[in-house]
Amino acid sequence: MLGTAFLILIGLLAFAVPVAAGLGILGLALEGIYSKLPLNMALGEITWATSNNFLLVAIPFFVLLGEILLRSGIAERMYNSLILWVPWLPGGLMHTNIVTCAMFAATSGSSVATAATIGTVALGEIQKRGYSERLFLGTIAAGGTLGILIPPSINMIVYGVLTDTSIPKLYLAGFIPGFVLASLFSLTVLICCLIKPEWGGKPIPATWRQRLKALPDLIPPIIIFIAVIGSIYAGWATATESAALGVIAALAIATWRRALSIKMLINAFEGTMRTTAMIMAILIAAYFLNFVMGSIGLLKKVNDLIMGLQLTPGQLLFAVIVFYVILGMFMETLSMMVATVPIITPIMVKMGFDPVWFGVLIVILMETAMITPPVGINLYVVQGLRKSGRINDVIIGASPFVLAMFAIMAIISFWPELVLWLPKLLER
Amino acid sequence: MEKLMSLAAQLSRYSLRFGGTLVLLAALLIGVDVILRKFFQSSIGGADELAGYALALGTSWSLGATLLDRAHIRIDSLYSLFPRGLRLFLDFIGLFLFLSFFGLVAWRGLSVMEQSWVSSSRSHTALATPLIIPQSIWIIGLLILIFLGIILFVRAALLVWQGEVAAASRAISTRAAAEEVEEEVRFLKERKPKRMES
Repeated sequence: MLGTAFLILIGLLAFAVPVAAGLGILGLALEGIYSKLPLNMALGEITWATSNNFLLVAIPFFVLLGEILLRSGIAERMYNSLILWVPWLPGGLMHTNIVTCAMFAATSGSSVATAATIGTVALGEIQKRGYSERLFLGTIAAGGTLGILIPPSINMIVYGVLTDTSIPKLYLAGFIPGFVLASLFSLTVLICCLIKPEWGGKPIPATWRQRLKALPDLIPPIIIFIAVIGSIYAGWATATESAALGVIAALAIATWRRALSIKMLINAFEGTMRTTAMIMAILIAAYFLNFVMGSIGLLKKVNDLIMGLQLTPGQLLFAVIVFYVILGMFMETLSMMVATVPIITPIMVKMGFDPVWFGVLIVILMETAMITPPVGINLYVVQGLRKSGRINDVIIGASPFVLAMFAIMAIISFWPELVLWLPKLLER
Repeated sequence: MEKLMSLAAQLSRYSLRFGGTLVLLAALLIGVDVILRKFFQSSIGGADELAGYALALGTSWSLGATLLDRAHIRIDSLYSLFPRGLRLFLDFIGLFLFLSFFGLVAWRGLSVMEQSWVSSSRSHTALATPLIIPQSIWIIGLLILIFLGIILFVRAALLVWQGEVAAASRAISTRAAAEEVEEEVRFLKERKPKRMES
C-alpha cells in the first residue's frame, strides 16, 4: 500500500500534474484501490470546512500586506535608508541585504515576497559598486528565506493548522533562530570576503547627517511589525486578527505616503488572490488526501514501519533531515509540507520531540529547499529579477548559505532551548 | 472561440477582484472588531465567521483565474527536460486531471449546498447565518472554475489542431516552458528568410 501510494504520487508530480490535482487524484486513486466506502462523498464538506477555516484567513492577509508594501515603495525606502548604514565589514552592502531581509521578514510571512521585494531594490547596486555578482545574488536568495522563519510566517500557520500547534508559540520560537541564522549568513559573507577581498565591493560614502535624515524611513516597517507581532503578545489579537491589523497598518502608511490608488489596490487584489487560490487549492486537496490516508490505515502503516525500524531519536532526526533536504531539491515547499507534515510530525512527537521545536526545524528545512537546485523558488525569483545571465550564478552564489542553514539545524538540535526558551517564557 | 476566450479572461479578472475585495473587507472588519473589543469593550460579533466566508468565497472565485494565469504550481524538474510534444501532451493531462478533481469538488459541493437548503441549516454562532447564502456564492465560484477550465482546454486543443503550437503552449504550459517554445519559434522565424536569400 505504501509503495503504491508513493509511486502514484511521484508519477503524478514528476509528470508535472498541478500539485493540487496530483494530491487530489492520489486521494481518489487510493480510495478506489483500498477503500470499500465512498470516501469522496465527504469531499464537499472537507472543501467547505477547509476553505472557511479562520486560521487560514491569515494567508490572504499576509499576501495582501506584502503586495501593499511592495507597491507603495515602503520597502524601497527602507533599503535606501539602510544602505547609508553599511558597515565597514568586508562585504559591505551584502550585510545590508541580509539585515534588510531580516527586518522585512519581520513584517512579511513569505520568503518569496521578501526576496522579490529586497531583490527589486538591491540588484541595481551590484555593478554600481563592483560587488561579486554571484555572492550578492546569493545574499538575496538566502536572506529572503528568512521571511518564513522570522515571524509572521505563512508556513508556520500551515504547520500550526496541520498539526494543531499554537501559532503564537511557533512565531515566538522562530525569533531567536531567525536572528542567529541571519548572523550566520553575515558571517558567511564575511568569511567569503576575507578569502576573496575583491568580492567585497566599494564602500558607500555617507555623512552622519544623511544617515540620521534617512532614519524615519525605517519607521513604517517597525509600525507594521508592532501591529502584527506586538498585538499578539499584548493579548489583543489572535494570529489571524493580527494579520488583519497588519493589512490596515500597511494601508494607512500607503495612504500617508500618497501611494494608495484604486489601480494599485486592484493590482494588489489580483496578485493576492492568485497566490491565495494557488495555496488553498493545494490545501484543499491535501486535506482530502489526509482524510483518505487516515481512513484506509495508511498513516498507521507509515507509523508502524518507522517505529519498527527501532531508530533512536537522534537517528530518526538525522533521517528526517536528510529526507527533507533531498525532497527539497525537487519539490516546492508548501506542497512538500502539506504532503508530509501530517504523517511525520506525530511520529516525531511520539519519539519525544517538541512539536513547536519540530515546526521550527521544518521551517528551516523549507528555507533550505528554497535555495537548493534544481527546484528552489527563491533561486527562480532572484533570477527572474535579473535581466540577463544564467541561473547558475544564483545557484552558486546561494550555495555557501546552505552551509549556514546546516549549521543552524545542528545548533538547534544540540541546544533546543534556543528555540523553546521564548515560547516557554510566554507560558509562565 | 477567441471572443469566448477574451470574455473568459475578462470574467477571470473580475472574479479575482471580487475575491480581493472580500479579503480586504474581511481585514477591515476584523481590524475594527479588535479595536472595538480592546478600547470600547464591545464587538461587532461574528467578524471571524464572516472572514471565514470571505476566504472560502474568495478562493473559489479565484481558482479559475489562477488556472488561466498558469499560477497553479507544477513541478517541472523532469518536465523541463522533455521534448516539446511530450510537454504539451502532459499539459493537457495535467489540465484534465485538475478539472476532474475540482469538478468532483464542485459536484460534492453542490450536495453540501443542497443539504443546507433542504434542512435550512444555520451556522452554530451568534449570527446563525443561513448557510445557503455563503454556500451558493461559493458554488458559483467553483462553477466559474469549471467553465473557465473547459474553455481553456478546448481552445488549447483547437490551437494544436490548427498547428499553433506556440500559442497552445502559451495557454497551458508552465511559464518557463512557454517562454522556451516562444524563443524556439522566434529563432526559427528569424532563420527562415535568410535561407530564402541563399
